[in-house]
Parts: sequence; structure tokens; C-alpha cells
Amino acid sequence: MCRRFGLLLILGVLASPLFGQDTLISRLRIRADSLLRTWQQAVAIANLADSLERERATIGRDTIAVGALRIITNASPLPVRQAAALAWPAIDSLYGSAAADLAERPYFIRAVDPDSNARRAVLHVGLEVPWDLDLRSTTTLLLTTVPIAPPDRALATWLTGVLRPSIHPREDLGGVYLEFVTAPSQAARGCFMGDIASCIDALGLGDTNHQLERWYPSAPERRAVVTGSFADFFDHGGSAPALRECVAGRDASCTALLRSLPADVLPKPLSDAARVSLVRDALRLGGQDAYRRLLRDPEAAIADRLAEAAGVSVDSLVAGWRNAALAARPAPVELPWWAIGVALGWVTVFAGCGLSSSRWRL
Amino acid sequence: MVMYKALLYTQWKWARLIILLGTLAGFSLPLLSLQGAARADRGALQAQDLLRAVQSWGTLYPLLAAALGLLVAIATWTADHRGRHVHALTLPLPRWRYVLLRFAAGMTLLAVPIAAVSVGALLAAFTATIPSGLQAYPLALSLRFALAVLVAYAVFFAISAGTARTAGIILAVVAALVVVQVVASIANLQLDLIGTSQVVLLHGLGPLAVFTSRWMLVDV
Repeated sequence: MCRRFGLLLILGVLASPLFGQDTLISRLRIRADSLLRTWQQAVAIANLADSLERERATIGRDTIAVGALRIITNASPLPVRQAAALAWPAIDSLYGSAAADLAERPYFIRAVDPDSNARRAVLHVGLEVPWDLDLRSTTTLLLTTVPIAPPDRALATWLTGVLRPSIHPREDLGGVYLEFVTAPSQAARGCFMGDIASCIDALGLGDTNHQLERWYPSAPERRAVVTGSFADFFDHGGSAPALRECVAGRDASCTALLRSLPADVLPKPLSDAARVSLVRDALRLGGQDAYRRLLRDPEAAIADRLAEAAGVSVDSLVAGWRNAALAARPAPVELPWWAIGVALGWVTVFAGCGLSSSRWRL
Repeated sequence: MVMYKALLYTQWKWARLIILLGTLAGFSLPLLSLQGAARADRGALQAQDLLRAVQSWGTLYPLLAAALGLLVAIATWTADHRGRHVHALTLPLPRWRYVLLRFAAGMTLLAVPIAAVSVGALLAAFTATIPSGLQAYPLALSLRFALAVLVAYAVFFAISAGTARTAGIILAVVAALVVVQVVASIANLQLDLIGTSQVVLLHGLGPLAVFTSRWMLVDV
């Protein structure tokens, strides 16, 4: 009897933390619910404030409509309409049918006197632009601030940002060529040499397991990544000895240091600009509905989404993109003929100065 | 022609050390810039390393060109200035012809280091292992070097050939520019004379534009 009582007592003592834990979980849940309610209220208030601010920003303004673009702006010499006319074809060709949604998402542009120090009401929406901006700069401004809805999280993470129309498409691809040639990664190098699987790896479109080994397969590459991008970061506390070993040539230390980083921190062999140019290629190939197809299934793999948008296999898409980048090779450093003429002209001028001195230097 | 040969010989005697050192430096520069950068064991890193090395060494070409132009131009006139032009005045030549012969003799001497840079660049380009995607530009580099040397030589030759008054005027103009810029900065005026002069001299059609831009023996 006494033994049974003792056993029950021990069980009761052992179970008491579980009861306590249950209470703790309930308390935390109540706090989480309270936080959620507060957050929802904050979002509602922010939306209301945003709506009121937009309402305030539109008072006394004109709406300029070019294609599906809507620009709410004040009367000024700023060439908004002409810039919109130049920007619209680029926006339309990138987003296709999705560009029609821009009619619901206007630009707010307040043109201001660049020479005035007069105090003006502060607006928290849209852009404040000096009205002496020229047509080219205004067009660039419209292209770089297209108010398109942001893409889903997966695409935005892969792109590291928002997709915008290209202002200098040829230069963008020229930049990709430079990355092919100079990126310190075997994947980028393989892509340049024509291996499409390497291109897919370098763009982060393939299997993301063992990404470190796929992107930087050799020991010198891994050491270059550590010493080039993370030397300061690792030169503190517990990682400092490993950094010193890595710099001294111990590959295991370099690999361990790089593995300790979060997956998305590892430097990409090909930059975000390369990824953006690939998406632009996919949208160009895919026609009017390509952007909508790209956004249709946020759960799908990025490679599949790009293939769906482009209407071709991902291999064909990447091969075409690579060929376009190779064709956009930057101009070599050769001296232009006119520069040769200019230099020889100056030699003649200075020699003439020497000859024309009429006096001996006495 | 006899007069030209005589002047060339005297100028060679005065400037031979400069020419020999310039030739040696000009020949070595391209070879050093490609030395060891393109090693097979560097894998994907070799292109980046090579470009970095070539870019670093590339800053020395315009310096060498300017130094050669300056030193040869000074050497051309030093003996005349020291002898107060007595020898030149005894020659049966008008001044313009004498100056032209001196200028031509100096240019002829400068052809040696220019040729050395060309030979060095061609040799370096043919012997180095250049990663695919990159290309060597030995002729473009040699041409740029030749033009830079000639421009530098012409500028300093004109200054050396002038009178002390001319040199004083040039220095006074430069000093005036600096003084006006300093005063404008103190008075908080939007005046950038130094920046504007820099643009005029170093860009587009400017006389020193050939010195700027990239001096790359190897590039994409």
C-alpha cells in the first residue's frame, strides 16, 4: 500500500512540469493571439492612412493616361506625357497583358521647383521630382519605378528584387558576358564554355543540394570566396582560427566556414542582373501572357515557371540567353581612329608652338 | 640630312641613358604584367587574376610615356640652354629648321622604347596562356603608348623650346586657375575651374586624352 502511494507520488511529481508546461503554452498562445490582433489593427490603420494620403496626393492634380499608365501629377514643365509615351512600349513589352493592371496602380509624381526653398506640404506617397528634369531622365524614372504589383516571395527571393524594364538591354547582357569570363566559379566558367547544365547551376535553377560544391567545386575557388567576401565577417571570435587556416590553404576550414553561412548568403556565381536578364528573355519569348504565366503558380520551381512563361524548355531558354550574352560581348579596348587623329593633331600643334617661337632663349 | 644625322648623334649622346632605361622598362612591362597570372592550377580564378594583374601593371604605361617624353625633351634642349645657344647661332640654319631637326631627332630616339614596348607586348601575348573569353591587344597598347609618348614629348618640347617668359606665362596661368578656384571655394561660388580644366585636358578631344582610358594588354 505504502509502495503504491509512493509510486503515485513520484508520478505526480514527475507530471507536474507537464501541467506547468501546458499553462505556459496557453499563456504564450494568448500572447500570440493578442499580438496578431494588434498587428491586424496596425495594418488596418496603415491602410487607412495610406488611402487618405493617396486621396490627399490626388487633390488638384491632373491624371495623364498613356496606354495603361496613369500618372497623377501637378501642372509643371516636367515632360511627363512625352516620357510616358516613351516608357509605355518598354513596359508593355515586358509585362504584356499584366501591364493592363497598371491602370489601377497610378504613379504619383509631384513636380517641384528645384530653385525654391519654400516650405511645402509633405506627401508620403509617390515621388517628388524637380521640374527641370529632361525627357531622358524622366523616362528613366518612369521605367525604374513602375508601380507593378511585387512578385510572389519565391520569385522575389530568387531575383533579389523586382523585375523592371531594361533601360540599356545591350549593356545589361554585356555585363553578363563579363561575369561569364571573370566570375571566380567553375559553374559560370562552364556556362561560358557552353555547358547548359552549368548555366542552370550558376543561375540557381537546378538542384539546390550541395550548392557550395556545385558553384565552387575547387579548393582555390572556395578560398577565394572566403577571403574575398567574408574575411572581415569571419575574422572575429571562434571563426578567426578557421579563417587563418583557410587563408593558409586548408580547404576543410574554408568549406566549414562557408557551410556555416545561411544558404542564401553564399555569393552567387552569376549576379542578380544575370537572373533578371534571363527572366526578361523568358518574357520576350513567351509573348503577351508570359508575365501572368510566370506568376501563376508560386509553389512551382523557378525553372518550371520560367519554362512555362517562355513556352520553351528551360534548357532552350538558358541556351538562347547564353548565346545572346555571348553576342553582346563588350567592345574591346582598341583605340578609335578619331582618337589617333586627335593625338597626332595635338603633337603637330605643340611642335608648331616650339617652331613658331621667334626668339632664341637668351 | 647631314645636319639631321649630326643632331641625332649629339642628342643620342645626351639622352642615351634615358633611352636605354626606357627601352628596358618598356620591354619588361608587358612581360611582367602577364607573368604567372595564367597558371592552369588557378582554374576559374585565372581570368580574374590575370585581368587584375594586367590592370595594375597598366597604370605604369602612361607614367613611363610621360617620363620618357619629359626627360627626352629636357635633354634635347639642356646643352643649348647651358651654352646660351651660341653653337646653334653659329649654324647656317634658320631657327625653325633647327628646332624641327631637334624635334625630329628626339622623335627618332623615342622610337626605340616605343618599339621595345611593341616587341615586349607581342612576345608576352604570344607566350602567355590567355584564358578563353579574354584577348590580347598588343598592337592597340603599343599604338596608345606611342601616341602618349609623342604627345608628352611635343608638350614638353614646346615648353623647353620657349623663352623663360613663355614658361612663366604658363606657370602664371596655372597658378591663377588655382587661386581663382580657392577664392571661389571660400566665397561658396558654384565654380569648378579645376574640374572643368581636367575635363578639357583629359577627355574627348583634349590633348592628354590619350593618357586616360584603360591600358590593358589583355581584356575581354
